[in-house]
Amino acid sequence: MYRELLIEIGCEELPAGWLPPLVRQLGACVGARLDAARLACPSPPEPFATPRRLAVRAARVAERQPDIEETLTGPPLRAALTAGGDPTPAALGFARKHGVAVNRLIRIDTPKGTYLAHRRRQRGRAARTVLGGVLAAVLRDLAFPKKMHWDARLDDGRGDLLFGRPIRWLVFLFGGRVVPFVIGRTPEAAARGVAPIRAGSTTRGHRFFARDARPGRPVRVGSFAEYRKTLKRHYVLLSREERRARIAKKLESNAKRVGGVVGGAGGAASLLDEVPDLVEYPSVVTGRFPEEFLALPDEVLKTTMIHHQHYFPVAAGDGRLTEHFLAVTNVPQDNVPAIARNSERVLVARLRDARFFWEADRRAPLAARLDRLDTLRFHAKLGSYLAKARRIEKLAAAVAGDAFGAPAQVDHAARAARLAKADLTTDMVGEFPELQGVMGGIYAREDGEPEEVWRAVYHHYLPIGVTADAPPRPGDLGRAGISWAAAALADKLDTLVGLFQAGERPRGARDPFGLRRQAHGVFGILVDLPELTGLTARPDLGSLVAAAEAAHGGGESAAAPEVTERLQQFLLERLRFVLEQRGHDVRNVRAATQPWPSWRAVTPLDARRKLEALPGFTGSTEFQQLAALFKRVRNIARELSDAELGDVEAGRAAVSDDAPEPAEAALAAEIERRRPAIAAAVAAGTDYHTAFAEAAAFGPAVDRFFTDVLVMAGDLDLRRRRLALLKRLERLILQLADVSALVKEAD
Amino acid sequence: MTLQDLIASLSRFWASRGCLIHQPLDTEVGAGTMHPETFLRVLGPRPWRVAYVQPSRRPADGRFGENPNRLFKHHQFQVILKPSPDAAQDLYLDSLRVCGIDPSRHDVRFEEDNWESPTLGAWGIGWQVLLDGMEITQFTYFQQAGGIELSPVSVELTYGLERIAMHLQGVDDVYDLAWAPGVTYRTVRHQDEVEQTKYAFGLIDMPEAEFAAGHRDLFEQHHRLARTLVRSGLVLPALDACLKCSHTFNILDASGGIGVTERAAYILRVRELAVAVAGAHAGAGGAAAPGA
Repeated sequence: MYRELLIEIGCEELPAGWLPPLVRQLGACVGARLDAARLACPSPPEPFATPRRLAVRAARVAERQPDIEETLTGPPLRAALTAGGDPTPAALGFARKHGVAVNRLIRIDTPKGTYLAHRRRQRGRAARTVLGGVLAAVLRDLAFPKKMHWDARLDDGRGDLLFGRPIRWLVFLFGGRVVPFVIGRTPEAAARGVAPIRAGSTTRGHRFFARDARPGRPVRVGSFAEYRKTLKRHYVLLSREERRARIAKKLESNAKRVGGVVGGAGGAASLLDEVPDLVEYPSVVTGRFPEEFLALPDEVLKTTMIHHQHYFPVAAGDGRLTEHFLAVTNVPQDNVPAIARNSERVLVARLRDARFFWEADRRAPLAARLDRLDTLRFHAKLGSYLAKARRIEKLAAAVAGDAFGAPAQVDHAARAARLAKADLTTDMVGEFPELQGVMGGIYAREDGEPEEVWRAVYHHYLPIGVTADAPPRPGDLGRAGISWAAAALADKLDTLVGLFQAGERPRGARDPFGLRRQAHGVFGILVDLPELTGLTARPDLGSLVAAAEAAHGGGESAAAPEVTERLQQFLLERLRFVLEQRGHDVRNVRAATQPWPSWRAVTPLDARRKLEALPGFTGSTEFQQLAALFKRVRNIARELSDAELGDVEAGRAAVSDDAPEPAEAALAAEIERRRPAIAAAVAAGTDYHTAFAEAAAFGPAVDRFFTDVLVMAGDLDLRRRRLALLKRLERLILQLADVSALVKEAD
Repeated sequence: MTLQDLIASLSRFWASRGCLIHQPLDTEVGAGTMHPETFLRVLGPRPWRVAYVQPSRRPADGRFGENPNRLFKHHQFQVILKPSPDAAQDLYLDSLRVCGIDPSRHDVRFEEDNWESPTLGAWGIGWQVLLDGMEITQFTYFQQAGGIELSPVSVELTYGLERIAMHLQGVDDVYDLAWAPGVTYRTVRHQDEVEQTKYAFGLIDMPEAEFAAGHRDLFEQHHRLARTLVRSGLVLPALDACLKCSHTFNILDASGGIGVTERAAYILRVRELAVAVAGAHAGAGGAAAPGA
């Protein structure tokens, strides 16, 4: 027989951001704990969360554990009985361990002989007596980003119960009947009359609203259906989806009523994901602020509304913000006049502050703020932000000029990098730190800096995301594509190289300076460089890192080799991460980012293009033949050093002039025939399809060579000739990828 | 409801809920938490309930009396309930009702806002209470003070009196508030705001460098005194001196006399003092065996 299980953990308001992960945990956790308690639960538990409750319903949970019958094997018979047939200490010990008389033990025959054994029968316990342990374990299991002490404890031998927020009530029903359960109090709190929390059958509706009875009073429920209905009647929508849909609909209709649409784009979208977890019964009010504040930049208006007040901006049809805004409230009715008026008052106070900063900051041009950066420390070992501004000015010029080959943009890139950090000294960024970069860009625009400069400053913290469509998009960059890419790379590379030199590399989960994100930004730019900037340049890691090291002092304070070694490992790892996040196969990524001839030669853009071409080949028989043989090629080619190959190619080392065997001659001819196409593709960095097709065609020739030819011939000159041949092949293929990593595993 | 009526209503309410009505600390503080009635009383096991108004100085928020919402000095109504009662939120909401705020006519919300004071080595878990989108109270379950884990947990309520009064009186400019019938906040406080801001921003008859050097020196004197007082086992005078350090640092910070690096170092030094004071209090038995 099965019965319904309903648990509601009534809490003081849980942080909105915690609810989505908590609700997933809750379902999994209850399922796992029921399972561990041997209570069958044929359909997965359904979890729910609102700011004031975590609830879970399991429609069918077994009323009783199954009975257990098991045979526990003891000592072998010969060790269990003395010659006289009396039990030995081993037998007595085994019986004692299981709490039975020794004469109740049985004998079992096994392939290894006869043993003493104990047959244990345990009758399954009633679910009602087991469920308390399940809830205790669930309360302990739930993980919160931050837990608190609230003078509570459980009787499970583990003492104090920490939780995300204090628990105020518990609904704990099995088959409609309350399961006894108590959360106790610490002695200090209990002595002062702080009450324990006892499980019951009463929930609470909305804190302040109820259709009948007094708001906030306990309401009795008997089943999940009744629970859900009762909550709704008392202004609590249990389902997050229902709350979200109601908000979306109300936002839209309220915006329409004032002739607009919900504005704020991405910011508003993520706000819409947050607000359903801030309210139990959402409604919307429309407010307006004096039109004079529309003179503030849209970014400031949006940040004030969305981030600081959780309000949605209203935009006109053309996308421009209007003086209207929408606030999601936790009350039954829309547009309560008092709430609208008060919300307007709060928003206007904030906008007035913002306008004060906007006016104060513009009294001096951005460039005049550079000196103040000297008082702002970047890192103890790396100096102030002024020092950083000077470094990245130089580095951005080098990136634009040398790595990008765009001399016309060198001055713009340098200027943008020089100004990039100046907004850290503005009042606006002091008040709205999330607008750093953005405000600098806006102030630079106000100062009359050209588009190539101000847009580069504006977006220089980007990209943050690793996907191909992460901002900024080419449309955001306008004419500033190249100067932006140079300044943004300079900023990030300077941070990475500098902090690695200062010994601040990320370790495990610790990445206090966000260096992983910086590296993701670097590769986000490099991998999409043509789309973002229109450039055809393909900068490699080595030249970029060298330029950043030079800006950090280069020669004299050159980084210790182990620092560069750690940095290159880190960079390769992050490049692979970005490429994997873009959906490329893990093994293809490894093959295409082989540090060959060294990590310095790795070119993120080429890696991406190789990866776009690779999936068309990896499945083909020819390619697989090559992949399988390439490992052998690499192993044998190791017998000849790079220097020796150089000697062979330069005619300094003797090679046999015996006539080659046909397979050897065929492979040599094949290499010469295919080399130009592969070399051309690699040089141009575009047509990797052709290059991989050429490479795959080596398969049969290599196979035949290994079958017919003995590489490690006794004649050293002959051996050298054959090794040189394989090494040439290895080098040719490695320019594309280490295909030995791509052998398909047998399924 | 005038500002003074608001204070009287809250005092009456909390007195009726078993709170002792205390008075402000007579030295400069940035928040009611720094008052020994909070900072020291939350340590140790002894139950305590107290409420008081605390004028709180935030030099960096000084606006020469020109900003309608920001003040060099504002007033907090501070409540400590130790241990935290199980109906702490309901009690708090009742206190709003006696001030004339009916939550069923507004949108009252508890939104996550964990409080932390690096200079006091104190932190807690809690919310900002929003009334129609305006923060009116910080509601905190104290977890640590002076670096010491707290058991039992105290609840700290910090009401922003000016904000609540502005809401109740429907005014948009703090200086238009009625402090008492016929007496505005402007009359009572404006001159103080103008003059204190000028001082805090270093706009006085003294070169910038001298102002900074003088205040650094003041800090050092208070710091030395605080250390001596801790060593001498005089907890309350030591706390006073520690708070003088904190306030002097705030003035230096507001006047722009401190770089980022130095800033962190100052905060750390004040924190070390606060931890030493709390440790001395707990060690001296002030927390463990009260009665003094």
